[in-house]
Amino acid sequence: MTNRQNTLKKIQTKQQTKQIASALALASCGLFTTSAYATELAKKTDDWKIDAALMYYGEQDRVQAIEAIGTAQKAFGDDSVLDLKLVVDSLTGSSASGAVAQSTSQTFTRPSGNGQYHVSAGETPLDDTFQDTRVQANVAWSEVLNPDWKLSVGAYGSKEFDYMSIGANVGIERGFNKDNTTLFLGTAYSFDVVDPEGGRPVDLSAMVIRDNFTTEEAYRTAFEATRQSGSDNKQTADLMLGVTQVLSERWLLQANYGLSSVNGYLTDPYKVLSVVDNNGITEEILYESRPDSRLKHSFYVMTKGALDAGVVDFSYRYNTDDWELTSHTLETHYRYYFSGSFYGQLHLRYYQQSAADFYQPFLMADTPLPEFASADYRIGKMTAYTIGVKFGHKLSGGHEMSYRLEYYQQDPKNDGTTIPGELQNFDLFPTQKAIAAQFSYSF
Amino acid sequence: MPTLSLKKTPYTLSRRDWGYIGEFRAMASPCEILIACDELDIADDILDMAVTEVQRIEQKYSRFIAQNTLWHLNHAQGQKQSIDEETWQLMSFSQQCFQLSEGLFDISAGPLMALWRFEPNAPLPAHADILRTKALVGFERIDFNSRYLSMPAGMQLDFGGVAKEYAVDRVAYELAESYPAIAVLVNFGGDIACPIEKSVPWQVGIEDPQRLDHAAKVLSIRQGALATSGDTRRFIEIEGKRYGHIIDPRTGYPVVCAPRSVTVLAPNCVTAGMLATMSMLQGADAEVFLTQQCVKYSIFR
Repeated sequence: MTNRQNTLKKIQTKQQTKQIASALALASCGLFTTSAYATELAKKTDDWKIDAALMYYGEQDRVQAIEAIGTAQKAFGDDSVLDLKLVVDSLTGSSASGAVAQSTSQTFTRPSGNGQYHVSAGETPLDDTFQDTRVQANVAWSEVLNPDWKLSVGAYGSKEFDYMSIGANVGIERGFNKDNTTLFLGTAYSFDVVDPEGGRPVDLSAMVIRDNFTTEEAYRTAFEATRQSGSDNKQTADLMLGVTQVLSERWLLQANYGLSSVNGYLTDPYKVLSVVDNNGITEEILYESRPDSRLKHSFYVMTKGALDAGVVDFSYRYNTDDWELTSHTLETHYRYYFSGSFYGQLHLRYYQQSAADFYQPFLMADTPLPEFASADYRIGKMTAYTIGVKFGHKLSGGHEMSYRLEYYQQDPKNDGTTIPGELQNFDLFPTQKAIAAQFSYSF
Repeated sequence: MPTLSLKKTPYTLSRRDWGYIGEFRAMASPCEILIACDELDIADDILDMAVTEVQRIEQKYSRFIAQNTLWHLNHAQGQKQSIDEETWQLMSFSQQCFQLSEGLFDISAGPLMALWRFEPNAPLPAHADILRTKALVGFERIDFNSRYLSMPAGMQLDFGGVAKEYAVDRVAYELAESYPAIAVLVNFGGDIACPIEKSVPWQVGIEDPQRLDHAAKVLSIRQGALATSGDTRRFIEIEGKRYGHIIDPRTGYPVVCAPRSVTVLAPNCVTAGMLATMSMLQGADAEVFLTQQCVKYSIFR
């Protein structure tokens, strides 16, 4: 029998025949390492996938926020996915107003013009009226047009007491080289309406204090003179270009470039600056003023790898803009699966930014008033870092529970400003510490 | 893809002195799960998980269900189709099997097999039909990656040669993950996996193909898997030679001198099943092949 002779010969001559059993055992491993993912996938095509999360964010002696996040995802066939997201958050507490501490007690007028508040000697002035509830909704649709092209569109709206924002985005993705390379082009537009309590302050106008006026009427007239009527708006146009490259079976690399052009009212109506004399004594308080346009560039590169029992990613982001504010962010996440249904994740982030060119911790009385000025620590020089841990459990029935705890510390820095007189006694660049905790449930 | 309504298969759960036995039908086979545990709630949950998972795999990859994942691949008419992670993994495994068997095991060989009817007095397929059909067979002509698959129009995939073993392993792995302390034996129509080591071994009977439903041999397993290839009720004789139902996709003809049945022990069921199938395809050399693989086996001729 030639057939038999052929087979025998093959068995005798081919050494690799011996290794078929072990090669098969090895090849079959791939079938079972993805159990969780496959179950998730099977679920995804059938049902709504719902995530609910509750987050707490608390700064030491400052802002506290509670945020409820609900997301829902549904796939329609293999090619279309609908994502919905609703966020409700509530903020209370106070944030630094931008004014500097003094050796005597200070009096400030509330943003509404109704009433005033006092800040004790040596304390960093905080605006204690900070309280708001925000509702935000997003909807996104993505569609695989054909094996090479994928389209995504989205819209969102958010509303809080003094702010409203609506936006839309569209993106297109193209796969090349058997999908080992993906190019992404996206654009977004948003329109915001700013309508602060008490109206928008006139740029760099001086805060009027009721105590300095004999009658309420005289005070009101003076206060109104520092206000502009009506609301103002802000438009943002974004363009993003991205490439994702599969490097090997386990690693991929992603790089993005983003261009963002913001126009309109960019000033923070609640932030102020102290004008001090050479002894560091405050003479008056001015409302801040920012340019009405900002052009931002961002560069981002991230690599992500699948390890034997985990996932790791490293990323770097560089932002720069025509306010001369540049920042560098280094970030990593490392997830380790203790078992198929339980993982732990470590998150580290380091952030560093330079000050915007018009940032000043205070203004000097003997120098001419600049066109733009802000003492908002958020656009000053600073470094910040985050350390976080997260744990996730897979429960029966495809449910998943996770908890996250993060510590965030922000260290504002003096960018070469000489501190006059008594201001040297105070910490003008106080460290800010915050804790974030989140509990999520997916079903 | 429309949502498939999954009506749960009926199953029974019965008490035994060593635990519970759950029984149901799936993938055209009698299925059972032996559970070494005295708690009814847990046994019921284990059985429920097993039924859910095997049904999911059957709904997704059965050749006999219209509009499922496999149906879409087989009706793509040469168009590129998107595939999910699980299908990609099955395709990758099938590709390895195709390469390791040097073309003997081919999930695209279904149309060739369909030409052969293993019934008494069934006509032999015409050689011309075999040649014509062979043009639609060949795993090497399938182009796929982790996201897409495309193959020439007319080609057909059939995971039948691996799906039952895959379902056994998937159920076994899932149960072991959820209940790592409970020994179970998963048996879908003779394809068996025991994922958790059991102190007192399971006793598994192997049928003698000539005396069906009668255990000819008893194997003890503490942990591992076994699978059987061979259907002794189906064969034809051509010019006095007996042909089994195993077709060599490279020739289009049944393998000569294939054993009646091959049972192989391996760490998991897909490996055992594939070794059993490959040894059948070796015909007269089945024993030589398995001996070289250093695995435990049992062959009936």
